[in-house]
Amino acid sequence: MNTNNKLLIIDDDPDYVSGIKSVLQKAEYEVDVAYNPKDGFQALQSKHYDLLLLDIMMGRGAEGVAVARKIRKDPKLRNIPVLIITGLREQIAFLFPGQPVHPNFVETDELLEKPVEPKLLLEKVSALLNMAKQKKA
Amino acid sequence: MESKTKILIIDDEEVILDSCTQILKGGKHLISTAMNGEIGLKLAKEFQPDLIFVDLKMPGISGFEVIEKVRELDPLIVVIVITGFATVSSAVEAMKNGAYDFLPKPFTPDEFRLITQRGLDKRRLVLETLALRREKEMLREQFAAIVSHELKAPLGAVQQNLFVLVDELSGQLTDEQKERFERMKAKINDLTNLILTWLRVLSVDVQKIQEGFKPTSLLTVVSKAVESVQPQANRKDIHILVPDPAPIPPVNGDEGTLVETVVNLLGNAIKYSRNGGTITLKTEKSGDDLCLSVTDTGIGISKDDLPYIFNDFYTAANGQKVEKSTGLGLAICRRIVEAHHGSIGVESELGQGSTFTVRLPILKPKE
Repeated sequence: MNTNNKLLIIDDDPDYVSGIKSVLQKAEYEVDVAYNPKDGFQALQSKHYDLLLLDIMMGRGAEGVAVARKIRKDPKLRNIPVLIITGLREQIAFLFPGQPVHPNFVETDELLEKPVEPKLLLEKVSALLNMAKQKKA
Repeated sequence: MESKTKILIIDDEEVILDSCTQILKGGKHLISTAMNGEIGLKLAKEFQPDLIFVDLKMPGISGFEVIEKVRELDPLIVVIVITGFATVSSAVEAMKNGAYDFLPKPFTPDEFRLITQRGLDKRRLVLETLALRREKEMLREQFAAIVSHELKAPLGAVQQNLFVLVDELSGQLTDEQKERFERMKAKINDLTNLILTWLRVLSVDVQKIQEGFKPTSLLTVVSKAVESVQPQANRKDIHILVPDPAPIPPVNGDEGTLVETVVNLLGNAIKYSRNGGTITLKTEKSGDDLCLSVTDTGIGISKDDLPYIFNDFYTAANGQKVEKSTGLGLAICRRIVEAHHGSIGVESELGQGSTFTVRLPILKPKE
């Protein structure tokens, strides 16, 4: 039942990606991966995805935040649900001092901490997809 | 190339002001002059000089007072006093109060140029020191961020793949193999927590804690802390006795870090208690302070170790290997309590147990 849903992972750590990718593929999602923010954003613009899994700390700093900002500004991408997966809850607080831990980067998003149990990952992904569907309807 | 240095001269003798301005002419400095202390202080604010020359004896506000006010305004401004002859003693007095140097009247142009140069060199050093200190502070914060990413990320990847392996192999693994996986997961978890604890030490920012101060009830702090360690206590069948919910005066503090402190103390008490032990929490007024004590009936701390237990990375070494420890928990507690203008102390008897006491000043009601 998940075959129609296409997911994109943007994360610069191939070892980490291989872990969650296999979980998602086993649940019959179609999964593409971009290993840096630039490729990731290009992929988003050239192909339709139902959900984005986004790492925050990439490259020289919190480049994932920049990706989220670009998504928010792009009228075509604005509504894509985003699952933010970061190893750094405290990092988020550090980058956005004084704000709640969940920063609401985009319209529909959720925050998960690395590493994530396979079951929880699948739950969040399907919950976000449903949420996005309801918003569309 | 560099922006011009700004020099303010305050003297009631017009001839001094004129000659000084004349001597320093040549475009390297911006010069401003004031006939008395009052105007001088006003200019110190508006003109923002690097260096101030001030006469000690002036009608109105004295040079001493100018020094004091300038120090309040901006302690980084270098002040040099100009003194009449045979008043070296008052010049020394001025230097004790923060002046950098003195210039006795009468002086030659060369003397004045020389001391101006010295004063400006001093100013440059002061500013460089400040910049270095700021840089060090930033490095410390960035170091924390880097450590966090570079150490945690690979561990996270390993853990993630372990999770997935367990998931994919479920059904094929023997109990023994499952157990092996669980042990690996637990070890990586410990390592991740250790990194987080180190980060915590680096990032206990006293100023940031103090910005969040508000009236806080220690009873709330205690109940939140107890709730958080209850599962640990249950595992060792340890009973935690909480204080009467009788109202106690609030303290001025940050609830989050205070809870963290009590959780740390309770965690230690549980760690070093025998199974089935009791931990007693008490709150009481003591003069202007509120005391919160955590007493356990555990293994206690030897006299040799007592003076050091609040230091970074200290763990008692006398063979009381009960559970592993990072040696940082109490150091973090101490930093947090000191940020609250309080103190933390311990009494202990080897084999009998320990009592940790946190003293915090009671919040004074506003008049």
